[in-house]
Formats: sequence, structure tokens, C-alpha cells
Amino acid sequence: MENAIVLKPEILGFYKNLPITNTLLVGWVAIAILTVTSLIIRFRIKIIPGMLQNVFEIIIDYAHSLVTGLAGERKAKIFFPFMMTFFLYIIVSNWLGLLPGFGTITYHGEPLFRSTNSDLNMTLALALISAIATHLFAVKYLGIKNYLLRWVALNPIFLFVGILEIVAEFTKIVSLSFRLFGNIFAGEVVLSTVSGIFAFILPLPFYFLEIIVGFVQAAVFAMLTLVFMVLLSEKHAEH
Amino acid sequence: MNFLSDFGLNPVLLAAQVVNFLILLWILNKFLYKPILKILAERRKKVEDSLEHAEEAEKKLLEATEEAQNLIAKAAVEGQKIVDGATKAGLQIKDEIVQKANEAAAVVYKKNEEAVRLREERMMNEVRAAAADLVTVVIQKLTGKVITKDDQKSMIEKEVRNLS
Repeated sequence: MENAIVLKPEILGFYKNLPITNTLLVGWVAIAILTVTSLIIRFRIKIIPGMLQNVFEIIIDYAHSLVTGLAGERKAKIFFPFMMTFFLYIIVSNWLGLLPGFGTITYHGEPLFRSTNSDLNMTLALALISAIATHLFAVKYLGIKNYLLRWVALNPIFLFVGILEIVAEFTKIVSLSFRLFGNIFAGEVVLSTVSGIFAFILPLPFYFLEIIVGFVQAAVFAMLTLVFMVLLSEKHAEH
Repeated sequence: MNFLSDFGLNPVLLAAQVVNFLILLWILNKFLYKPILKILAERRKKVEDSLEHAEEAEKKLLEATEEAQNLIAKAAVEGQKIVDGATKAGLQIKDEIVQKANEAAAVVYKKNEEAVRLREERMMNEVRAAAADLVTVVIQKLTGKVITKDDQKSMIEKEVRNLS
């Protein structure tokens, strides 16, 4: 990347009103990879697993037992797909962004590929889905009355606490989206800077670091979503 | 909101990403999570079943082994019994045979003894007769007369007279 650090994703073209950015494009690639993989697994699923099925069985079994342990059997059915999809989508996008060609292949003078999560649009969208789903599940499991009682109370102290909690909900969205965006964006910047200094061998440790960061951020996003869902869908402690 | 537009925030892009994610969520749920969780549950059940079967088989094997051992022990006892009975019967038969043989031998011995005794007697008689004849012939030769019964008598009387 010879050009200066840019926060905005580069727009490659327009489809009607939809700007096709390089980050959106990579997001589609990640979705395509996951879709093809899941279709392959779906149609070649066997009781004695093959290599690919085995890998996903390990991941899914581990995550599912984690969700079941935290949320219980009944809620796990609803929470698990969200948590797992966040994890898989984010980790695939993050690791895709480390492949050669990202930032270097250009299209009409703009980089064709750019890591999906180095675009705040993408991370904010994920955070919004996480937050909205969390609140919808809270209403579903608590009922609308119990859900609202969490935020408002007649007691002035708890009314204040309720207001704080409402603020905290928005903070969650900001922290989820900016954490992911910041980590991946910073990673991209570091990699391009180090590659600019010396392109051979020197960036390798940073690539290893970014592989770990990509995994950790995916795990953190998924775990936080899960924890928020569990916390909010539990009955508020009696005052 | 200049700050947000610095980051290139665009409601259309946001919406696109939300739609992307929801589509991915649906696809993964349908084609990845559900089949895999189903097959995991299936496998768990299968393993449980086979473990149960294995346990059962082991128990059966143990029972069978025990039964076999019991049968063998029983057979050994029975076999010993049969051998003992046979030995006893054999001894009895042997005793009987020996006794019969002894009896038969005794009979044969007795018969032989009788026959020997008869022959001896007969021989003695013959010897006596021969001796008497010899004596008669000798006397005849000596006296020159045939000794008859009367002669004998008279001789005996004469001798008796001499004696007294």
C-alpha cells in the first residue's frame, strides 16, 4: 500500500444505490467460502467424519457445549447460531485479509481487496445485529413487562441505575464495533508499514501476530455477544 | 456527524452488511450447525448403545465362562464317580473269578488225588499177588511139591505146633 492510511473503504463501483466497496466484496468472498464449505459438509455428512467434517465438528461441538453450559439447553438453540456465525464470519474475514494480494492488487487505482473488518460499516453492522438480537431475545424470554422493568423503576436510585444501563447498552455497540474495527485496521496498517520498511522476512512475526489477533477478535466478539444475550435474558435480581 | 463520516459510514453499506450477515446466519444454521449437531447427537447415541452392548456381551461372556467351569467341575466329579464304580466292579469281578478258579482247582486236585490213590492201591494188590505167586513158585521149587491150600494149612499148623 503506497497510499496513505485511509479509514474509509474504497468504492470500486456502484450497483444502483449500493456502493460496492472493497471491504464489502471481501465480505461476500468470506460468505461464499463459508457457504460452499457448509454445503460440502451438508451433502457429504457421514457418521464417520471426514477431515473437513471433523474440523467443524470439533469447533461446533465445543462452542455448543459452551453455549449450553452458559445459557441452558433451551436458550442455546437460539443463541448458538448467532454466536457461532459471528465467530466463523469474523475469523474467516480476518484471515482472508492476511492473504497476499490484499491491498496490493488494484482496480482502477484502488485496492481490490481489503479486510472486511477494517471498515467500520461492517463491524458496526455486526454490533447492531448483536445488540438488536440480544434485546429481542430478552423480550422473548422475559416478556415485555419484565424487560421494561429492567430499565425503569419508581425508586429514584434504581431509575438512575436504569438510565445508566441504557447508556451501557449503547456503549456495548460502540465497544464491540470499534474493538473489532480498531484491531483489524491497526493490523493492516502495521503490516503495510512493516512491509514498506522491508518486505522480506521482517513482516513474518507480525503476520503470526495478526493470525492470533484475527482469532482472538472473532472469539471475543462471539463470546461477548453470548454473554450479553445470557445476561439480558435472565430474570433481573429482586431488589 | 462529521466524525462518523470520517470512518466512511454509509447507511446503505450498513444495511448491506446486515443483510449479508443474516443470509449467512440462515445458510450456516441450515447447512452447517443443524446437520452437524444432529450427527453428533446420533454418534453419541450410537457410542452409548455400543458401550451398553459391549457391557452386556462382557457380562454374558463372564456368565458363560462360569457356567462352563461349573460344567467341567461337575463332569470331573461324575467322571471320578464312574471310575470309582468301575474300579469297584472290577475288583469284585476279579475276586469272584479268583474264587471260582480256586474252587475249580480244588475239585481237580481232589479228583487227581483219588485217581492216584486208586492206582496205588491197584498196584499194591498186583505186587502182593505177584509176590505170593513168586513165593509159591519158590517153595514149589524148594519142596518139590505144589503147595495147595491144604498143604498150606498143614504147614501152618505144623509150624504152630513147633512153636508151642
